[in-house]
Amino acid sequence: MTETGRRYGQIYTELNAAVAIAKKDIAIYYLKPNIIVSGALFPLFMFLAFAVGKPAAPAVMIPGLIAITILFSASSIEPVSIPIERRMKTFDRLLSAPISLHAVVLGESLSGFLYSIGIAFVPFIAGLLIFGTPILDILPLVLGILLTAFCFATMGTLFAAYPTESPGDIMSMLNLVRLPLIFISGVFIPLESIPSAGQVLVYFSPLTYGNDLIQAAYRGSTHFSPLADVAMLCIFILLFQIAANRLYKKFNE
Amino acid sequence: MISTGLKESWVKSKFCRDDRTVCHTWLIFLQGVYVTGSFIKSSRSYDDYMNAIEVSHLSKRFGALTALDDISFSVSKGETFGFLGPNGAGKTTTIRILTGISAPSGGTAAIFGNDIIRNPILSRTQMGIVHETSNIYDDLTAWQNLMFTAELYTIGKHQREKQGMELLERFGLQERRYDKVRGFSKGMKRRLTLAMGLVNNPRLLFLDEPTSGLDVQSNLIIRDVIRDLAAQGVTVFLTTHNIEEANLTCDRVAIINRGHIAAIDSPERLKKTIQSAQSVEVAFDSAVPRRMEDLKRIPAVSEVRKEGDKFRLFTEDPSSVIPAVMEYAKANNLRVLSMTTAGPSLEDVFIKLTGLEIRARGVSTVD
Repeated sequence: MTETGRRYGQIYTELNAAVAIAKKDIAIYYLKPNIIVSGALFPLFMFLAFAVGKPAAPAVMIPGLIAITILFSASSIEPVSIPIERRMKTFDRLLSAPISLHAVVLGESLSGFLYSIGIAFVPFIAGLLIFGTPILDILPLVLGILLTAFCFATMGTLFAAYPTESPGDIMSMLNLVRLPLIFISGVFIPLESIPSAGQVLVYFSPLTYGNDLIQAAYRGSTHFSPLADVAMLCIFILLFQIAANRLYKKFNE
Repeated sequence: MISTGLKESWVKSKFCRDDRTVCHTWLIFLQGVYVTGSFIKSSRSYDDYMNAIEVSHLSKRFGALTALDDISFSVSKGETFGFLGPNGAGKTTTIRILTGISAPSGGTAAIFGNDIIRNPILSRTQMGIVHETSNIYDDLTAWQNLMFTAELYTIGKHQREKQGMELLERFGLQERRYDKVRGFSKGMKRRLTLAMGLVNNPRLLFLDEPTSGLDVQSNLIIRDVIRDLAAQGVTVFLTTHNIEEANLTCDRVAIINRGHIAAIDSPERLKKTIQSAQSVEVAFDSAVPRRMEDLKRIPAVSEVRKEGDKFRLFTEDPSSVIPAVMEYAKANNLRVLSMTTAGPSLEDVFIKLTGLEIRARGVSTVD
């Protein structure tokens, strides 16, 4: 077999393994109570706390609800599943399989990604059927949901690299990052209204770009250019993937 | 001139007569053919003579703690190799490095010639791993567990289903294949873990404490499988707390203590190194404990131990102890119900080499 053939063969093996890991996570973790609470119910109550009683129509709030639903649901699987697997020693099974850490990180991220897509459908369908929210442009919506979901799924995998057997340890650290993100990303407070000190932080939040793309689908305009949003989300995904790989390697040593 | 066994006189007679130049040219050409042929032959047979595991000056440090200190050993292809040591000796650390889960602090380890650090994926493709704890997914069925493991090894759907059915049947789990593992007994979980370790038909199998705390049925099944694998030429690397199991199963054993290899040899050769652990086991019709003091006074007896209704007298010279015991029985009006002599056990070797006073504390096994 040529070197190129071997390389393609290995890529196929890695993708295959990543899909197998995601399928395993779907079968085991999607219906775990703590994942339903932190991934689905928490963003809903968070949204209600900020939206109820505000003059804005529910339909206007739908893009924000989709954005925070993705943030919480995508990043909730791995911080629960990986510490449990460490405790049960099943994570060693993945580490000793003939695949690279990239495949493990990708597979774990994939399960958070798919979970998030499923959960994001709920506010999306509710907006469409109950509130009759019009969608002006479907492409930014699709790109926004897919990229934001994968970005935060990778972020969840990155945090789960911390070598603990307790999901609570990781969730605490993760919430220290996730909760502030809501306030600096234009979900509840428009980007223009954020105080000047916070304006710098806006650029460091992946949710800013994801929310901007999703808002574009409903408003027809973006704060940044859609291309910039997509590029920034891709950069964040890449950075999180690389960092996750490095951390898993470091902590395993 | 390269020494190839080619004789100049033979070359002259076959390929040239008196022309020295032609003769030399033929000689150089034939030597070239011979050397190339030898090289190809040695390349082909490289795999046949290669070790399954080659560990060289391996060390592992966790901060100030040295878990492995410059250990070296090799395991031949098809060998069943036991790795014995007390808790914290470095057994699991060694397995974690050899399976590519952890990186060593120094030294090298190769699996079938592939460096585990530089080429981990190729190394792992050839191995199956049965971890110390039954690390299976409780929320999946036995079948899902097996199929998931097979998918990690990229085994095609048809092949993995066929292999999965065979393994479940072999381990007596086929009737429970669609049950979630959560409801399985410890023995069933262990058998499933072993089945998952074999799903890729490995050339090398790592078994970390495979029979620890299992029921008799599971124990027998697993021991049979280990014997079958050895018969099929699969290399087995076994860590066990059960020294007798290592004695019965392994071609060679390594005894590791505090990160150092204390000894590596076949069980029988290791036993021969401690002749002082030979013993005479005697059962009288009355086994009151006070007899221990009397028996200790017999010359050449170094230690007496009461084991159930029998006494075990340790000695370097069993032939002089036997008549003394008979004399003692006669003098005390005792009937000798049985008397046997025994050589040192692997456990005796283990205790001597690791410096553990396990028996004195009433413990007969180590982790």
